[in-house]
Amino acid sequence: MGVELQPAMPGAPPIGTQPDQAFFQDLNGELGDKGFLVTSTEDLFQWARTGSLWWMTFGLACCAVEMIHVNMPRYDLERFGAAPRASPRQSDVMIVAGTLCNKMAPALRKVYDQMSEPKYVISMGSCANGGGYYHYSYSVVRGCDRIVPVDIYVPGCPPTAEALLYGIMQLQRKIRRIGTIER
Amino acid sequence: MASPAPAYASNDGVIDAIRSALGAAALDVTEAVGEIFVTVEREALVPAMIALRDELHYQSLMEIAGVDWPDQPERFEIVYCLLSLTKNHRIRVHVWTDEDKPVPSVTGIWPVAGWLEREVYDMYGVLFSGNADLRRILTDYGFRGHPQRKDFPLTGYVELRYSEEAKRVVYEPVQLAQDFRSFDFMSPWEGAQYVLPGDEKVKAPEAKGAPTPLTADEIKKADAAVAAKAPPSTPKTTETKAQTGAGEPANTMAAKKSPARKANAEDGPVTKVAKPRAPRKPKGEA
Amino acid sequence: MTDHVAELEAQVDALNPTPGDVEIQNYTINFGPQHPAAHGVLRLVLELDGEIVERVDPHIGLLHRGTEKLIEYKTYLQALPYFDRLDYCSPLAMEHSYVLAIEKLLDLEVPLRAQYLRVFFAELTRICNHMLNLGSHVMDVGAMTPNLWLFEIREDCLNFFERASGARMHSAYFRPGGVHQDVPLKLLTDIGDWLDKRMPELFEDAISLVADNRIFKQRNVDIAVVSKDDAVKWGFSGPMIRGSGIPWDLRKSQPYDVYDRMDFDVPVGTRGDCYDRFMVRVEEVRQSARIMKQCLRDMPEGPIASLDRKVVPPKRGEMKRSMEALIHHFKLYTEGFHVPAGSVYVATESPKGEFGVYLVSDGSNKPYRCKIRPTAFSHLQAMDFMTRGHMLADATAILGAMDIVFGECDR
Repeated sequence: MGVELQPAMPGAPPIGTQPDQAFFQDLNGELGDKGFLVTSTEDLFQWARTGSLWWMTFGLACCAVEMIHVNMPRYDLERFGAAPRASPRQSDVMIVAGTLCNKMAPALRKVYDQMSEPKYVISMGSCANGGGYYHYSYSVVRGCDRIVPVDIYVPGCPPTAEALLYGIMQLQRKIRRIGTIER
Repeated sequence: MASPAPAYASNDGVIDAIRSALGAAALDVTEAVGEIFVTVEREALVPAMIALRDELHYQSLMEIAGVDWPDQPERFEIVYCLLSLTKNHRIRVHVWTDEDKPVPSVTGIWPVAGWLEREVYDMYGVLFSGNADLRRILTDYGFRGHPQRKDFPLTGYVELRYSEEAKRVVYEPVQLAQDFRSFDFMSPWEGAQYVLPGDEKVKAPEAKGAPTPLTADEIKKADAAVAAKAPPSTPKTTETKAQTGAGEPANTMAAKKSPARKANAEDGPVTKVAKPRAPRKPKGEA
Repeated sequence: MTDHVAELEAQVDALNPTPGDVEIQNYTINFGPQHPAAHGVLRLVLELDGEIVERVDPHIGLLHRGTEKLIEYKTYLQALPYFDRLDYCSPLAMEHSYVLAIEKLLDLEVPLRAQYLRVFFAELTRICNHMLNLGSHVMDVGAMTPNLWLFEIREDCLNFFERASGARMHSAYFRPGGVHQDVPLKLLTDIGDWLDKRMPELFEDAISLVADNRIFKQRNVDIAVVSKDDAVKWGFSGPMIRGSGIPWDLRKSQPYDVYDRMDFDVPVGTRGDCYDRFMVRVEEVRQSARIMKQCLRDMPEGPIASLDRKVVPPKRGEMKRSMEALIHHFKLYTEGFHVPAGSVYVATESPKGEFGVYLVSDGSNKPYRCKIRPTAFSHLQAMDFMTRGHMLADATAILGAMDIVFGECDR
């Protein structure tokens, strides 16, 4: 089919290489020796936040289809701990996928307000980023950042599933980099 | 026909059948581009539709479209696309109206017309008498204006933003960072309707007494027109110093050092005056 | 003792209230606009009597993007990608109506290979669309696994679109006069292998899980029965009208491109309920695969777009050598082609039903008016009478069997 396994890039470890075993054995030894691990609370919080980014399904238009695709077996977003949640109260990140229209904007804001802190927003696709192909329309919000604060912009019309996956990984990086207990 | 468009039953004899079925209600029956359309008198729409459905077996109403022709005496054309499942044929029924005169609703014949008429009302402001549920359907709750009219601007009048002060989304007058770019590709020798900057001088002779093809009366009118013409509106460009931020050199030392730069700074930016062109009228709608 | 009897009688009364005793009020609930089973941004205002739906008022327009107005401001070619974005589950089927409408106004001949390619990819789009719809339908009524398998097929389809046009979803592959570019032979053979092996395996496996499943049948059989008369009156089309037992398929009755050379069957339902609509779509997938195989067998060699240089831009190689080709390319990508004045209504059989374009031209390079006839508009309007008297949980099954996409419904 379309996807073929390519020989590994030069410099990259060959396919099937195990992760650094020494690190895990060290960790395991420490845990077995003392019975606990010591870390900073900030690290713990960031680990918890990045490890289970439950996202709110806010599929609006075309991008919603790619957003579904990224959850399906081939891309399998749940590997990264990001699972779809239909309820805003239980989710951490909202993916605004598609054209945000004037009639929908109050609903988007309401859903965002219902989410519990810390909350993040990923704007997916050129329509959500800035209106895109529909920028000059009389009924389109020219970018969802006019309604909610956005953390990550994923470009594309629509972005491929890989692009969204990369966007979510960028969000994890951002949380790790600037994360504090209080967001 | 050469094009691979959908081929349905032949149009032979359909025009006569429509004429005999509708009688005086059919103002005009035409065949164009392989499709038959009948223009029907507005008041006689409902009986005409019933006749088309029952006598000529056009059972299905597929679509109601509106078209705005601002130059026409009654500016809105409402197009009903009918389909006959048994005869495998399509016709269109056209009705003309304006902002005030309501069109009789066909919801009694086809319930599907309910939303289709609501959409035409929403987009054009055409009223349908007899439609019990004539609310807006597609545009925002509380939207003003009818967006598909030709005089409604593409970007509308308002835009939406979340206001931190009001803690809700608010409407504001539209402000675009960059205007919608619309180019006129009509070449000047193909009957362009506008006059290129400078070309207005061709009409009237430069100096009095110079040879000209115009008659005296025409020259007088041209002179008067040039005199009466309002000064061109301020062009929407960001080329003045205040707008671009390219003002006086802030660092006087830096400005003094290089003679070349000093000369440039004194010249200031070259100001271009773009003359706004008149919008070209669409052809073929007279 | 009498006290005790009176007490018991009172309890019995409470168990069997007579109509005068308790006042039951209908209540209204709001469904959407953000709901995972709404298939987009639908808002339903449901009036319930207990769990029975009394009235449904669908509010649409939450994805109204002003497409028709924007099209009036773009040249014919610039407006083409808007059609991809209408029904984003079946992009190429939307383009098909639009390019056919332009060709009808221009009276433009299209080479045979281009017509075959269009039919081929339109049918691939149909498979792609039905995978999404069937999968989400079974998910709405409670099954999870088939959806995962059907999306694997969809993922393959998107790869094929990417290899043909460069884009996974919004291909902009059909152009007035033909298609954008030729496909490599390897792609056609790959799709042929896929149709023979992988697609039927995955698809039949997934469908075998639900087609005879007792729970699935209980959720769908006899839900939202639509009679033939109602289907015609409410302007149904596509699988909705065929589910009601009317054998009406525009590919068969009003053939466009090379559909008149194809041999395929039109499935019809017998009862007109949600299960019939589901099974009609399942059979359509098999028929689409059949059409695609015939395309692969019969597709001739030749040009893939009309050679009329006033409409179809030249290839890049030609531009490097011919001054005239360069001029044509420049003119076509700036000014675009002019379409003679006139109006047409062209409808094709999109996966969801009759998708029509009423195109009015005034002789310039931009459409004067382009009215899009969405399939979902008339189907969703019938939601009220279809849902009336059913349970609240059936609303999602009805919605799933309708196959609604809001990009197209709201435009």
